[in-house]
Amino acid sequence: MSKFEVPVGPQHPALKEPENFTFVVDGEHIVEVRPRIGYNHRGIEKAAESRTYIQNLYLMERICGICSVAHTTCYAQNVEYLYEKEIPPRAEYIRVIINELNRIHSHLLWLGVAGHEIGFDTLFMYVWRDREHVMDIIEAMTGNRVNYAINTIGGVRRDVTSETIAKARKVLDILEERTKYYKRVAAAELSLISRTKGIGILKPNDAVRLCAVGPTLRASAIKSDVRKDDPYSAYEEIPFNAVSYDLCDVFSRILVRVDETFEAINIIRYCLDHLPSGPVRLKLPRNPPAGESVSKVEAPRGEDIHYVRSDGTEKPARYKVRAPTLGNIPAVCDMLTSKADHTVNIGDIPIVLASIDPCFSCTDRAIKFVDPWKEKKWIWSHEQLDRYARRKGKQ
Amino acid sequence: MTEAYVEAIIQIAQILIFPGFLFVIALAFAYEWFDRKFYAKLQNRIGPLYTGPRGFLQPFADFVKLMAKEDIVPLAVDKLLFNLSPLIAFALMLTAVLLLPISSPMGVLSFSGDLILAVALMTFFCIIVFLSGMCSTNRFSAVGAERAVFQLLGYEIPMMLAIVGVALGANSLRIADIVWKQGENLWYIFGPQAIGFAIYSIAVQAELERIPFDIPEAEQEIVAGWLTEFSGRKLALFRLSRDIELVFVAGLGAALYLGGPLGPVIPGLEPLLYTIYFIVKTVFVLVILSTVRAIFARLRIDQMVSFSWKYLIPLSVLQLLLVRLVV
Amino acid sequence: MVGEVYRHLFKKRATVLYPFKERELVHVPEGMRGKPSINRDLCIGCGLCGRDCPSGAIEIIQDEKGKRPVFYLDRCLFCGQCEEICPKSAIALTPEFEIASYDRKAMILR
Repeated sequence: MSKFEVPVGPQHPALKEPENFTFVVDGEHIVEVRPRIGYNHRGIEKAAESRTYIQNLYLMERICGICSVAHTTCYAQNVEYLYEKEIPPRAEYIRVIINELNRIHSHLLWLGVAGHEIGFDTLFMYVWRDREHVMDIIEAMTGNRVNYAINTIGGVRRDVTSETIAKARKVLDILEERTKYYKRVAAAELSLISRTKGIGILKPNDAVRLCAVGPTLRASAIKSDVRKDDPYSAYEEIPFNAVSYDLCDVFSRILVRVDETFEAINIIRYCLDHLPSGPVRLKLPRNPPAGESVSKVEAPRGEDIHYVRSDGTEKPARYKVRAPTLGNIPAVCDMLTSKADHTVNIGDIPIVLASIDPCFSCTDRAIKFVDPWKEKKWIWSHEQLDRYARRKGKQ
Repeated sequence: MTEAYVEAIIQIAQILIFPGFLFVIALAFAYEWFDRKFYAKLQNRIGPLYTGPRGFLQPFADFVKLMAKEDIVPLAVDKLLFNLSPLIAFALMLTAVLLLPISSPMGVLSFSGDLILAVALMTFFCIIVFLSGMCSTNRFSAVGAERAVFQLLGYEIPMMLAIVGVALGANSLRIADIVWKQGENLWYIFGPQAIGFAIYSIAVQAELERIPFDIPEAEQEIVAGWLTEFSGRKLALFRLSRDIELVFVAGLGAALYLGGPLGPVIPGLEPLLYTIYFIVKTVFVLVILSTVRAIFARLRIDQMVSFSWKYLIPLSVLQLLLVRLVV
Repeated sequence: MVGEVYRHLFKKRATVLYPFKERELVHVPEGMRGKPSINRDLCIGCGLCGRDCPSGAIEIIQDEKGKRPVFYLDRCLFCGQCEEICPKSAIALTPEFEIASYDRKAMILR
């Protein structure tokens, strides 16, 4: 059969969010992948420049629905670095608890979605039923199931009560038992193994060269975790393991995420046992001092980097977000092309795309300008884009 | 003279109403409801709930809704084939169910060799699937159609070998004879044909394009496969044909392995009792098919074909030898 | 896997038939951020809530009693920033979440 192009996206049942991947296929083998991102670009970085620092907290939350608290933690940390102040230790521990609960919720969601992508709807239904326990305990702690709004500049907004702590311990026990069951099922279910072993291979040096992040990187035998390499918040004091497997395929990524769920449960237990007393919030002045700052956080999908530049007013002068999925897109394109020693079929597309845990809402920041009709690509600086916008606005 | 007329009218009523077309269509809706409810129960949820008592009318409501929707015909398709293929598929399946023994050990149509006709009609259905996928000029449909034919390569032979095993055991190619033979001895599922029943269930899951073999219609990979471009009435007819195929396949399994509609009878009430036994046995086959649907993930097409050729075909040849030795 | 799957035939369903039947089974913890409520007697009209609202859902208007806020619920994020910043604790977020309506005017809390 001659080669033809199969477009996946922007609307496609395999993708939960719009992106375009054009596959050049030869029969069932994929020969080339051409990605196009930017369908979910909402102008968040520009919107951040016209809101105060307090208002931006809630804007940053809505960059992504699943890893929302990672973005707010990164933002709050960033601004606290500008102030050069330390927040109270109880607030650090509560931030860690909420971050790890978010990680559990995100990994369980991903496990269900991965099951759905390979047609295993029963796993999908079971995992999402168990995820409800996590959502309920988060709602009891923070007041909402998604978009928790628990972080603020200077600490957290709410304290955890002893009843919530008792409820949380019960929920953690249930979750641990269910996650053990899912690990048993994933390791033993033949149809799942045959769909995921040896699929979506990413060799370690390719992973490093293409700047993969998060569980995608850790499943290729590279133990790189921001919580261990560059500890932030209370992670220096909490003992845990960075999980990594060396099979370099989708099955390895499933194992990495399931094990990270166990680690997260243990971290939360440690934090609940060793919660320091004291205030949860530090009152900070409205305008941070002028300066720049960069902060990194380990979101459930990988390393999330924020940059802020302040000029002393109550609104940031420039805010930049580098979401983890952006780092994984070149890696996924490499995973999806057939190589000399193994071929990739069309049937593998959904599970490989799902295995990097794509969150395209996080990803879409402007990188490069493409004119598809004139087939031109170029990069502009901030001032050039500004001038173009003003010129077009006058017309 | 009037006797011939009365007989003709009875025959037509048998074909059209009971146990013919209308009854089977009603049964098809009921079985789809049962399948959806059972599948949902296994997944700890409810399934259809609001239309009719416990959602019983949901498949019928889906059918009516689809019939009322707009029927979009893309510009580039082959119009004759595109418009005809749902009708041909529907006609094929309706003809096939006339061979099933529902209210008596003999189907409405029964002659020597009708077992071969049953298998041939199933293969024709797959060819219609391929043609409808190819004639809708859409790359997803083309990939789906290609996969349907690949899958045919996989499941056709084990299914036919299992059925040949039954025919060998009964020494006849007529479904009515096979049912009578089971009435005199044990049902075929007890005995060396049990392997054949297992192979038949697996192969038939692939014929019906259900998980783990719903590869030609894989929703996440190729949108809807060969069904992508059909909408409105054509989609309604295809879905109804799919449900009638479910009844046909379950009925054939019951007739070949579970003794058809035979069971303890009260003379005089025979058609009613035979129908009830038929329904009970086909529901049993349906429970097996629905469970298999719930516990596996979808296989990839090359994995499916290699699984079939590496495991199913040797097993079915082995089963044939066993039957030959025992009989 | 088959054993676990068949065990579910005897378990109670995980679905809750909200909203037609089982409303009382939906538990909302206290502290859930739902519809905001304002206590007019405590409000001094400082306008801090309107300044800090991330989505511009609070409009400060002038009437005969002085300045007071008007909430636009269809813009509200239910973040609770207004509750936090109010110096007199006049705003509180109740656990009420069933605020959908066919009428746009029902979304304005005066």
